[in-house]
Order: sequence, then C-alpha cells, then structure tokens
Amino acid sequence: MLEHLAAIAADGILLGLIYAIAGLGLSLVLGIMGIVNVAHSAFIMLGSFFAFELFERLGIDPIISFFLALPVFFVLGTVVYRMLLTRLERVAQAQGLVAMFGLMVLIENLGTIVWTTDTRVITASYTNSSVVVGGLFIAKVKLIAGILALALTAIFWAFLRFTLVGRAIRAMSQNRDAAMSAGIDVRRLSTMMFGLGIACAGAAGVALAMIFPFSPNTQVQWLAWAFLVVILGGLGNVANTLVAGLIVGLLQTLCAAFLPFDYVYLVLYVLLAAVLVLRREGLTLAVRRAI
Amino acid sequence: MLSLFFLPSTRESASGRIYRRAPWLLALSVLALYGVLGRQLFLLSTLGTVFLYIALTQAWNILGGYGGYLNFGMVTFFGVGAYTSAVLFQYWEISPFLTAPFAGITSAALALLIGIPTLRIRGAYFALITLIITFAVQILVLDMPFTQGALGIYLQPLSLTPLGVERLFYYLFLACAALVTLLVYAIEHSNFGWALVAIREDEDAAEIIGIRTVEVKWIANCLAGFVAGVVGGLYAQRILYIEPTGTFAFDISLNVVLMAVIGGAGTWQGPLIGAPLVLLVADALRVTFTSEVNRAIFSVIVILIALFIPGGIMGLWTRWGRGRAEKAAAGGTQGARADEQSVQ
Amino acid sequence: MNMSRTTSTLRIQEIVAGYTPGHPVLRGVNLVAKPGHITVVLGPNGAGKSTLLRSIAGFLRPSSGSIVLGETEISALPPHRHIERGIALLPQGRSTFPELTVTENIELGGWTMRSDRKRLRRAVEAMFERYSHLRELRNKPTGALSGGQQRAVEIARLIVSDPTVLLIDEPSVGLSPIVASQVYRELQALKAEGRAILLVDQDVRAAINVADYVYVLNSGRNDIEGDSSAFHGDLGAMVRRWLGV
Repeated sequence: MLEHLAAIAADGILLGLIYAIAGLGLSLVLGIMGIVNVAHSAFIMLGSFFAFELFERLGIDPIISFFLALPVFFVLGTVVYRMLLTRLERVAQAQGLVAMFGLMVLIENLGTIVWTTDTRVITASYTNSSVVVGGLFIAKVKLIAGILALALTAIFWAFLRFTLVGRAIRAMSQNRDAAMSAGIDVRRLSTMMFGLGIACAGAAGVALAMIFPFSPNTQVQWLAWAFLVVILGGLGNVANTLVAGLIVGLLQTLCAAFLPFDYVYLVLYVLLAAVLVLRREGLTLAVRRAI
Repeated sequence: MLSLFFLPSTRESASGRIYRRAPWLLALSVLALYGVLGRQLFLLSTLGTVFLYIALTQAWNILGGYGGYLNFGMVTFFGVGAYTSAVLFQYWEISPFLTAPFAGITSAALALLIGIPTLRIRGAYFALITLIITFAVQILVLDMPFTQGALGIYLQPLSLTPLGVERLFYYLFLACAALVTLLVYAIEHSNFGWALVAIREDEDAAEIIGIRTVEVKWIANCLAGFVAGVVGGLYAQRILYIEPTGTFAFDISLNVVLMAVIGGAGTWQGPLIGAPLVLLVADALRVTFTSEVNRAIFSVIVILIALFIPGGIMGLWTRWGRGRAEKAAAGGTQGARADEQSVQ
Repeated sequence: MNMSRTTSTLRIQEIVAGYTPGHPVLRGVNLVAKPGHITVVLGPNGAGKSTLLRSIAGFLRPSSGSIVLGETEISALPPHRHIERGIALLPQGRSTFPELTVTENIELGGWTMRSDRKRLRRAVEAMFERYSHLRELRNKPTGALSGGQQRAVEIARLIVSDPTVLLIDEPSVGLSPIVASQVYRELQALKAEGRAILLVDQDVRAAINVADYVYVLNSGRNDIEGDSSAFHGDLGAMVRRWLGV
C-alpha cells in the first residue's frame, strides 16, 4: 500500500512539473503584462505537433525538440505580439479578449486543417520503458519530461531573478511609468516577455506530447489545467507556479487512483472555483490594466 | 469614449420615434406573415435557426456587449437547457414545451453558480472559466447515468406534418428572438443597462457612484442563462435527439461570439445584423470549404474587427452617422471656438 | 561624478497637450528651466502641472508646441529615450519597484549604461556612498522600507545615470515634515551640481523656499511668473485666489 502511494506521488510530482511549465507561460504573461492569453493552450497544441512533425518526419527525439521549441516559439510569440498585441494596447479590454479568442480559434482550426482531428501519440524509444528508483517503477518518459520541465522552470526563475533584463521585466510589471522613465523600453521588453511565455507554452506542448495523446481540438483542456496552476500559484511568480503545478499534479494522480476517471475534472473545477473565491484580491490587483 | 454612443440622443418627438422603429416593426410583420405564407421547408427551417441564434446572441449581448464580460461558453447554458428538457421527458414524459421555462431556470442556476466565483473578480477570469467549463460539463453529461452518456436521449416527435413542425418552430423562435430583443432594448434604455455600460467603461468609477457591480453582473449572467436554457429546451424538441457532442458543440459558443462581435456588441441591433449575416456567409462558404477553413476565415474576421472596427457593423454605422452630423454642424462650431479663443 | 556634464537649458514653447482629443489640459504653456536653477511650477489643482511634466517626459505627446533641450527638439521622443538625453522624471507618489531590492532598484536607474557593467556597478556604488544609510538596506526589497527610505531609493535611482535635467513631481507628498525637508535639501544639492530642476509642487511654501524662478499655471496656461523673492510676500493672496475666495 505504502509503495503504491509512493508510486502515485512520484507520478504526480513528475506530472506536476510539466503542468508547472504549462502554467508558467500563462502566469508570466498574465502577471507581468496583464494579458489573459486565451490562446495559450493553442500554442501548447502547436508545441505538441511541432514535436510530432520533427519526430515523424526527421526522427528527431522529443528531448531535442523540447529545446528546439524554445527559440522557434519565442520568435512565433514575438511575431504574434507585434501583429496583434501592440495594436491591442490601444483598444478596450473586451476587444483584446475577443481578438485573443479569435486567435485561439484560428490556431485550433489551422491545426485541424493540417493535422485533422485524429488523436496522435509520439512513441519514442523510451516511451514504454521504466526505470527503478528506490524500489519504485517510474515511467522513463515521465522522468525525462519532468526533468526537462524542472530545468526550464529553473532557467526562467534564474533569468527573472539574476539578470538585469529579468529584473527590468519585473520592474515593468511593478511600476510601468517608473520603468519607462528609467529608460526601459517597455514595448520591447513586453514583446520579449510574450515571446518567452509562448516559448514556454511550446516547450510544455512538447513535454505533454511525450506523455499524453493529443489532437488539435482538445487543446482547451490544457487551458483548464494551466489556468488552475496559475490561479493556485498566483500571478507572475515562478517559484509559486512550480509549487502549484506540483499540487495539481499530485491531486490529479491521487484522484485518478481513488476515483473514477472523469471525477478528476469535477474535483478540478470545484478547486478552481474555490481558489477563485479565496484568492480574489490577489488576482484582481494584477489585472487592472489587463486585456 | 465608447459610452458616448449610449448617451440618449436628444428627446425625440413621438412621430420621430415611430419613424425610427417603423423599419424594425415592418421587418417583424413581414417575417410573421412569411410564417403563414411560406411553404419552403428549407427556408422556414433556416430562418428558424437565424431566430434561435438571434435569441442566444441577444442573451450573450447583455453581459458581454453592454457589460464587457465575455462568455466564451454560451453553449453550456444552451446545452444544459436542452438536457434539462430532454431528461424531464425521458423520465416523466413531460413535453419540452412545458418544461422549457424550467430548463431556463436550471441554466440560470448554473449561470449563478459559475458567476459567484468568477464575476466577483475583475478581468478576464469569467471569460476563461466559461471557455473551459463547457469541456467539463460535456464530460459530466457523458458520464452521468441519467443523461445516458454518449447514447443520448430521444424525444417524442410531434404529431404534425413536416410543414407544420417547421412553422411551429419558426414562430416559436421568432417569438423568442423578438421577446429577447425587446428585453435587450429595454435594458439598453434602463438604469440596469447604464450600470452595465458603466461597468464596461470603468468598473472602479461604477462602484464609486454606487452601482452594485457584482450583483448587476450576476443578474445579467443569469438572464443570459435563462434565455439560453429556454431556447435549448425548445431546441431539444425540434431536433428530437440530443447527445453530448452535438449539444455542447463549441461551434455554438463560437457562433454567438462571432455574431455579436460582427454585428456590434453592446447594441440591440447588433445581433439582428450579425446572426443572419454570419449564418448566410457560413452557408455560402460551406459550399466550397470545409468547416475548419470556414471557422479559420471567421476567426480572422473577428480578430480584424476586434482590432480595427470596435463596435462591428453597428459601430461603423453609428460613426458614419455621427460623421455626417458633425460635418453638417462644422460651420457653427468653428465659429463658437473662435469666440472662445478671443474671450480668453 | 559631474566632470563632463553638458549642461543645457530646457525650453518649452506654447505646448498644447491633453488626454482626450479636442480637450487639451495644457493650452499653450511657455517655460524655461536653466541649469543650476530650481524652476518651480505652481498652480491650483487641475492647472496642468503634472500633465506638463508628463509631456516633457514623453508620456504624453503634445499636439503642438515645442520642447527643446539645448538645441534639440525632444517632444516626439518616447519616454524611455529621455534618459539618454539626460532628462529624468521622478513620478508622483511611490515609484520604487517594491519587490526588487534597493540595489536592484538603483541598478535599473542605470539601465542605459547596461552595456558597460563596470561603469554601472561604479555608479551604483557611488549612490551608496552618497546615501550611505541605504548601504545597509541594499539587499532588502524596497517595499519593506519606510516612506523616507523609499524616497531616498527613488532619488538614487533617478540620478544614478547622472541626468542633467530632473523633473520632480510632488516630492514631499506623504512624507513626514523632517523627511520632506531633507528631500528639499537634497534638491538644492542637486541644483548646486549644475542640474536643471523642474519642480512641480502642491506645497507652495516649501517649493518657493527652494525656488530660483517660479511659474504659476492656471487652466493650462501661464498665469504669472517671477523670481522666487517676488513670491514670498503675497503668497496668501495667491493661494486664496486659487481657491476662488
């Protein structure tokens, strides 16, 4: 029994690490820039298919795709920001939200046109093998994806904390006017930040694709998970997002072990509602200027 | 700035008001008449769908258009309404015509349930939650024993000729559309409507002047839920068979947003323009494109409208009208400005 | 640190600016801020004082008129380009980055020097020498500091890049009288280093005490102006006039 629980916990922690990076991009873009990126999970889906295509066509391992996704999706994010969001700064909040919604629908349907609604999986050489760690059988693929996710989280944390640019990004979210008068080009940093958020979504998509089946039209479920991580962890804080991801991951595996499969979603939504009620002050503050 | 649109124009004379309303009343009478005279099943059925969407879009419009809180999961209310009626028929054999109000109440209750956590906080949380809750409700419906999961529920066909059925639903949905439009018109010209617009424009200011913003949002959301529930209940009787995937199709949520945004959210005329236009264009596109391409095209249109034509077609129309009025008044104002300058 | 400061005069001519088109807050303001001078802008609420500073700092683009620093027209520059020209704004109210430490705050004031890390580090170190009481707080987040300490961080952040023109908006609001007087003394020290200081203030008496030249705005236009000595006498009358008594 105890061993069983330990296996569940290990599973939950590894999944939680991946949920953390799925939520991280959303959290940073929302917390630092005040943009509710409804299309976040659409980019996650693109990340999954990015790995899928590289794997199927060129035989590139998802581990490599994970790192390739970062620059590719960063550029994609900056292009989207330049095209849509610079314009959005000038329109009302609801308009911006509609545009992001449109973007989500666009990406999802472009995805469906290219890849159809079929469910795909990536079967790498290590997909079905497991390793024994301290007497526990752990799926190798989850271990790999979890470690990659943890590494990415650590990189983001260090970037925002220890580099001047990272501090400037945090400064921008804390006092925009003062940041501008200090000479910080807020628009350029915002573009960069959004690019980083999308890079994170893309990498999360790769990591998720290593473990779960995916298709273009089921992407919204990742929005639900990512969003839960965000509101649980608060906005724009990397360390808290990591903890929130772990909680969600553990919760999911525990529910899945003791409840019929689909009740996981029920628990998820009850938790979502409860957290929204409890944390509402903290959540309101950050979205003052928001889209 | 947008709120300028909502300032009542100078008091009109009674004749002026009739003149303004006449085209709409005329259109309504023509449509009512067509219900009797029309014999083409396809046209009656298509128009019925247009009316159904007008009702849904108007309902969305209350909180989404006037209040600025967007519901990306309108289908949740619609689907729950449809299932309420269907389940009541399944177990007690009550006709959906009788249970439609109850379907509305169920959906309104759900709207309240969703609204309590999400509408107390500002910002886009409501929009996000409505988007992802559709997914959850669909899964629940698939798994609950009393909804019969993926098997779905069959309803009793009405003992009418096909033409009779189409006519019946033509009138039912026409009535729904007209009543909800009337409701939205009344809201637009009421304190409640003003409160919603105030919330959209500046929620802090709205609170300061004493608007109970949270309650206003809750009521608006429940109204939307009620309307969508009633329409959903009637819809169940119309198509006679409901199952989770089709009833909770994301397309319905999407269409409602498209119609409101393209027609002009936050005006009572917007959905009247948007619903037929979107369905017409969608039908035309369907001949040549798959539905994915179709949706991709619409999503690009929506992005462009959101970015460049806030207010949709109604927004353009109002601006055009104002532009003309300003041109006409330009000579006078310039004189006035010159006076002001010389005084100071 | 003021070895090679190029000192230039800030000249504002007939600027018109506002937040909604057709309703300017500033309706033609003229003003000159000279190096080594504290130029004070006074006026009743809504006269356009803060708007004026925001326009000069680039946050609000004037619809007409000119803002010239030395020989260069700067009215079209975005806010973040002003510091390169030596113009720094201290915004109204608290403006530190509360979750960043004192050092990090001051460092960001030298953002434009970031390509030369050594120089940046030296400049930050110079600030700790100048405001030595900040040194022991250097690793604390500024949100945890007292109001006076935060103001010191703001001033250090403002001058770490050694700007020549300082735009100061309501520096004493929310501070105790003792701290406020320290702030005004610091402004005089900064002026003595040859900087041009443009000070907008509600605290009329304190501002006039440090001023070299005073402008009074009313309804977005120049009202009266003169050497500060001219204002010492009839202060009461002026303030009463603003209140409409």
